[in-house]
Amino acid sequence: MKIIKQFGIIFSLCWIAVVIEKLLPIAFPASVIGMLLLLFCLLTGVLKIDHIREKSDFLLANMAFFFVPAGVNVINYLDILKENWLPLLLICVITTVVTFAAAAYSIRLVMILQCRKKGVRHE
Amino acid sequence: MSEIFASPFFGIALSVLTFWIGTLIQKKLKSVLFNPLLIAILLTSAVLLIFDIPYESYNEGGSVINMFLTPATACLAVSIYTKIKILQEKWIPIVVGCTVGSLASMGSVWLLCRLFGLDEAMTVSLIPKSVTTPIAMGVCEANGGIVPVTVIAVIFTGILGSILAPFLIRVFRVADPVAAGLAIGTCSHAVGTSRALELGETEGAMSGLAIGVCGIITVLVSMLLL
Repeated sequence: MKIIKQFGIIFSLCWIAVVIEKLLPIAFPASVIGMLLLLFCLLTGVLKIDHIREKSDFLLANMAFFFVPAGVNVINYLDILKENWLPLLLICVITTVVTFAAAAYSIRLVMILQCRKKGVRHE
Repeated sequence: MSEIFASPFFGIALSVLTFWIGTLIQKKLKSVLFNPLLIAILLTSAVLLIFDIPYESYNEGGSVINMFLTPATACLAVSIYTKIKILQEKWIPIVVGCTVGSLASMGSVWLLCRLFGLDEAMTVSLIPKSVTTPIAMGVCEANGGIVPVTVIAVIFTGILGSILAPFLIRVFRVADPVAAGLAIGTCSHAVGTSRALELGETEGAMSGLAIGVCGIITVLVSMLLL
């Protein structure tokens, strides 16, 4: 019953997220609404981690598996891939490196600036 | 004959079996190149193509598995919640880093798509490629992209990030584990996060946090610009 209850809590939350998605005038995925909703519930104490621990461990630990059908869907679009495989490959490799560098350097810069500010205050 | 494949049990069984084979192969070869998800997708697709089983039949079961993506993404809130202390202390560098990283990702994709002369639908499908699959799918769908192209680009980016992570840390001399973890999560979401966890606890935690933060930033930016 414990697991079924946890299923109930998370699926109810997801349903509320879907309802909000339908009501919103802008396109915002229900999954992200659900994430924000759950974070809000945890922070306000409406839900405790213990209420959903087993179910959320199950979902997070097996996250990769749930992507299989979405990936298999690509067999319906093989012609697109065949036409564009080289640009796709290059775009993925180049942008991954660019993104990593941009994130790492901007974080470092902000941290250095923050440290300097603190240092000035101490003097 | 085709009815036997239209039972939802077929799609689920085939997905589980191929994913399990993928896990075994990864354990044997201990290489991130042999990603269980990638192996499962390739094997399942191969079975459907070789035995001429319609995708619609497979998807009777596939859609059941697919349904779990929404609750799984929602549960990322649990990992963010457990790291809320780091978020409170370092939220400025975290938010700035994720924002700059997400913008760099979307901007460089857009530029390269223009350079390679890809059409609007392909561009929209590739722009959210650095965030976690359900969010990327949502952004792609909302803007009229081709969802499977997004999924393949996201998965490939994730695998690439998990392979390149240690190399990138060395090349860009990222000594701080917080910065390293966030950068891995920003460029290669959940698959990269699994590698970040191997590098260290802080790297893993920060990478997991970046999945959520970058997801939200990417959704917001795509709503404003696309």
